[in-house]
Amino acid sequence: MEEISNFPLNPEPAEEETPQSQMQESTPDRKSMRTTKPGIKRLILSLTVLFSFIIGFPFLWKSIEIYRAPLPFDRIESFSSQLESDPLHFPCRFQAIFVGFDFSASRGLGPNDVAAAITHKMSQLNPNSLRCGNCGGGDYDVSVVIDSGSSCAQTEGSEARCPLKCGEVVFGGKLSDEDFDEMLKRCLGNVDGGGKGYSVVVFNGDKEEGEVRAVVGKYRHAWVLGHVSEDEAVSRTAEIFARVFMNGGNEGNSIRSEFMPVGADGRIVLSFSLLNAEPQDWIYDWSFHEIDKTLLQPVIQALQPIANITVESQVLYYTPKSSFSYWDDIHGSHIFSTKDLPFFLNSNEWHLDTSVAAGGRSKVLQLVVYIPSAKECPLQLELPNGDLSKTNGFISPMWGGVVVWNPESCVKDLESKDPDRRVISPQNLQKLFEVLMGQLRQLLGLKSDNLYVGQSGAYILLGSERGFTEWELDVLSGKHVCFNLHSCATTLGSLSRLVQSLPRMIIIDEIGKQVKFSLEAAKFAQSYASTGIYNASAVSSRQARSLVENAFFHPSIMSISYYSFEHCFAIYSPFFLPVTMHVILAALREWKRYKQENRKYLAWKAKERIVS
Amino acid sequence: MALLSRKGTLFLLFLFSIFLLSASASNGSGEEEEEFWEELLLKPLPDRKVLSHFHFQNEAPLSDSFARHHHLFPKSIAQLVKKFHIKAMELSFTQGRWNYERWGGFDPISSHNAKPPGVELWAVFDVPPHQVDASWKDLTHALSGLFCASINFLESSTTYSAPKWTFQSALGSLRYGTLPREAVCTENLTPWLKLLPCRDKAGLSALMDRPSIYKSFYHSQRLHLTQAKTGADPKNSRVVLEQTLTVVLQPNILTGGTNYVSEAKMQPSWSLSSIFGRKINGRCVLAKSSNVYLQVERGLVTQLENLQSSTATFAANGTNLDDFGRNVGFELSVNPDRVLKEVEKSSSILYEYPIKVHKDSEQFDLGITWKHPVIWSTPHVPLYASRFLMGSGNERGAIAICMKSTESTQELVAANYVDQRCNFQVNVLQIVPWYIKVYYHTLQLFVDEKPQILTDFVERMHVSPSEDKVSPGLMELVLKLPCEVKSAVLNIEFDKGFLHIDEYPPDANQGFDIPSAIISFPDFNAGLQFSDNSLSKTPMLSKLQERSPVISYTEVLLVPLTTPDFSMPYNVITITCTVFALYFGSLLNALRRRVGEEERRLNDKGGKKDALLNRVLGKLSSKFRGRSSVSSQPSSSSSSSLISPKLILRVLLVAGIAVAWQYYS
Repeated sequence: MEEISNFPLNPEPAEEETPQSQMQESTPDRKSMRTTKPGIKRLILSLTVLFSFIIGFPFLWKSIEIYRAPLPFDRIESFSSQLESDPLHFPCRFQAIFVGFDFSASRGLGPNDVAAAITHKMSQLNPNSLRCGNCGGGDYDVSVVIDSGSSCAQTEGSEARCPLKCGEVVFGGKLSDEDFDEMLKRCLGNVDGGGKGYSVVVFNGDKEEGEVRAVVGKYRHAWVLGHVSEDEAVSRTAEIFARVFMNGGNEGNSIRSEFMPVGADGRIVLSFSLLNAEPQDWIYDWSFHEIDKTLLQPVIQALQPIANITVESQVLYYTPKSSFSYWDDIHGSHIFSTKDLPFFLNSNEWHLDTSVAAGGRSKVLQLVVYIPSAKECPLQLELPNGDLSKTNGFISPMWGGVVVWNPESCVKDLESKDPDRRVISPQNLQKLFEVLMGQLRQLLGLKSDNLYVGQSGAYILLGSERGFTEWELDVLSGKHVCFNLHSCATTLGSLSRLVQSLPRMIIIDEIGKQVKFSLEAAKFAQSYASTGIYNASAVSSRQARSLVENAFFHPSIMSISYYSFEHCFAIYSPFFLPVTMHVILAALREWKRYKQENRKYLAWKAKERIVS
Repeated sequence: MALLSRKGTLFLLFLFSIFLLSASASNGSGEEEEEFWEELLLKPLPDRKVLSHFHFQNEAPLSDSFARHHHLFPKSIAQLVKKFHIKAMELSFTQGRWNYERWGGFDPISSHNAKPPGVELWAVFDVPPHQVDASWKDLTHALSGLFCASINFLESSTTYSAPKWTFQSALGSLRYGTLPREAVCTENLTPWLKLLPCRDKAGLSALMDRPSIYKSFYHSQRLHLTQAKTGADPKNSRVVLEQTLTVVLQPNILTGGTNYVSEAKMQPSWSLSSIFGRKINGRCVLAKSSNVYLQVERGLVTQLENLQSSTATFAANGTNLDDFGRNVGFELSVNPDRVLKEVEKSSSILYEYPIKVHKDSEQFDLGITWKHPVIWSTPHVPLYASRFLMGSGNERGAIAICMKSTESTQELVAANYVDQRCNFQVNVLQIVPWYIKVYYHTLQLFVDEKPQILTDFVERMHVSPSEDKVSPGLMELVLKLPCEVKSAVLNIEFDKGFLHIDEYPPDANQGFDIPSAIISFPDFNAGLQFSDNSLSKTPMLSKLQERSPVISYTEVLLVPLTTPDFSMPYNVITITCTVFALYFGSLLNALRRRVGEEERRLNDKGGKKDALLNRVLGKLSSKFRGRSSVSSQPSSSSSSSLISPKLILRVLLVAGIAVAWQYYS
């Protein structure tokens, strides 16, 4: 068997020899040249595979890409930089009416010169007029009417009628401030013409009239009565314009005036709490329902353009304060000083819950009435200068306010078996709420007292029964728009930074839309503000802020994909690493080989040509 | 902080005359007040434990200012009611399991306060049907924030369902969900206490010493909201918030003087200070009434009466248990103000102790000292229900609900119709998560251990099958069982489903919980009937007297499901990728292979080499084979080509590597 099977194998070496011998004959040819054109089948194949890989790669990249709605980063950038460089300003018209003055006679000044003097003085008094929400931005629209009795002059383009009609009435009878205010409103009302025009009327009285009386009314005008020189008249007018009407009578630029405690949804929840520190001694209750109806509703109505306010109340028991007080013989009461205030709020025992009903991003302002226990009964707040506080309360910006209310008699009824249940009398409650409303005004960044002392004298600020006068509301709404736009810009900035810093974060379309709409609303707010439409501007700015907050706090924004790039690499590398290596190597080799073979062919061709 | 300083006169902001007028007018209008009660019920249990049941009730009129202005009622709850339009709601946090055999199941306390472990929540909404689910979801989130618990897990539609008959009929606007694995601790109790006007600063709640409460055998904290209508006018209705805490405690044994009976048989004597470590310092001043009750059960009363009649001296005096502190069985440290007795013959007794206003000198400390060993049993549920799993493995199983008759059903037989056929109704509610795929057609009923046709006993049935990843399965049965029934077993088979990899909870290997089944007996009335109805009723007394069906819960079942290797998807992806890469690479290589050319080149190069190797190998092999092969010289070359030298070399190489590996590793 072996022999048979092996036999045919034997001729093989013999056969092999023939090609070898042939090869040996043509070896010099074979190594350096070839007679046929090199085939490109394999080259095309491997290049096709390579190219299909290269083409397919973007598709794969796309498929594993995380969806990110495009956010207008450059617009956000430009919006915030614009808000910084060019703060929001409302157009305001100022009108000064001088009755009984004769500038032209004494100084040789016309109404235009007086207007220029007032403007100059105003910019001196209001150096930070470029602050957001202010009037005009350093460029004031001041018109002047000078009624000297015999002649009447006015600046060009002023709307006031010359001479002033109600002048005689003023001099005629002694009116109370309120009546005077109403009367001025009546006779300046038609002058006003609907927009936000502020006016100051200076009546030059006789010398014997005594002290000068300067009053700022409930509406948008003020008046100065008494014997004043021309210079004083100008400086007083400028001060009322610059300090009171434009800044709300606030000195300096404290931090808290920058913030408005209004929620992103434009709502404020006023949460009133009555805290009985020790119900064993006495239990106080209040008829809050009545207070709500009679006292709070007008305030809520007045603040409607700025915020949508809701009111809640509760009575809590066993809520001691967490700071200590000491007995003071001089004042005859227990004293807690301003140093103790940070520790007064007892967050363990005072469960002044945030409101469930408010929901969303409403701002809750806590207004707390604290009734001390019998042990520390007359409890008084000592000011740093050693006096007792008249209001016996304090505020904490953006949180709320606390008032300590001491019962009339601090003697506990030891005999009675039942607990001492009392109700705060309406008179006391009313006083308490005056203080609380003052605190609310302070929380909103207004003055809580009725006197403004400026450089050129004191001004009486007339209060409104609604708690907020018209010019105060103007200041507030300006501030509100500013605060909204600023917070919108900062939130947008943080959002864009966040989005740019996290490349694997999913951004759904809704967020992109909200950002877009928010920017649009902010633009609207700015344009409304420049045309002086306060309410529409407030609404748009609020919308801008709430939209961007919605975007920022969107539930999906936290869904950062945990499918990180490393992860992706780890999953695809077992496939792509070997395959790409194969493909690239194959393509390279084929290309090399083709070039080499082609050279051989060309060499042969050249040889052929030479031969032929 | 900024000071509110005032230098000038007060800023007159408002006009006051209107206000003064209206305030004086409205004071007399008689607006309904918010009210608050607090009560504590103590009850010695047969197994030497003590049940203490705190009951706080808060009521507020549903007026315009509801949810806005409150004096006693918790604002947060009122706002919940208003915001989500809640008609009724019950939330319970429970730890431990109520022992129906020993602690009783036929009394108001157990049927209201014995709850399944973990969190149970049901709510009835006053909204159109399509909004109910949305309201439920919002409510779960709000509650979970309020009570620091993961109630928000009930938001998913796979966790809640809408039973029809077990709870108050609410016609589709009721939702029910449980979280059996929720751990209950102080962080849940503190927000619950915050809803009380006195919190735990004063009154009965001051007894709640956290270590003693949480080392108890059973602990259930409950919040129940209802709207009670006082008149025909819907405006007159009141919102009632009932907060109860039920604790079963083991009292520390007080070393009493009487040692003549073996201590082991004696009930332990206890007092409030010994079980809670605190005494009652005084009532919560805001409560309308503040009472402590001591309940002596029917069984105990009967036993004591027997004991009394057998003891001659007491029998001569003719005293009964109404003369408190004089009976043979026990002695009370404080004399009660009032004794309430049930109207029936063998009846339980309630001793009432009103708590007075705080006085430093006197503290209230109720104690009971046992004088005689007494053994009694508590009234049992009509059918004692237990539930268990059958089958093994990770594929399929069966749930069995077994109901055994107790003495109360036998009493029923005895009391009622002797020759007439008597039936009683049993409602069974069973909710199963979707991954337990129940085959409802396999439902079997065994009555007295004999298989029965279902329709003979089932009066009504409501099944809503589970939908994968959408809703749980729900089965409600209304059974009519004969009074003389000994046992009834419901048996249903299921397949265990597979969950998606991200649906497994953390620690999936622990198993999955099937929430408790609820067995209720609407024909039985758990309420107690006290004789003097004329006296003013406190909320707890009226709760005890309320006609309510007997309800019991079964155990929670733990079903082990197949849990995957959680790294599996990555392994699968990687290995698939590798296989693809191998395939692709070799395919590509095969495509661009030039077979002819390679051979030629191989021959080019290898011709010489192979010849040399062949010669060497040939010589080697010929030497090995020796002479035998010399004769057949031609075959040697053939064999060498068969066992190619390359192959041998490779084998040697692999063997070498293997040896090296073995040696060095």
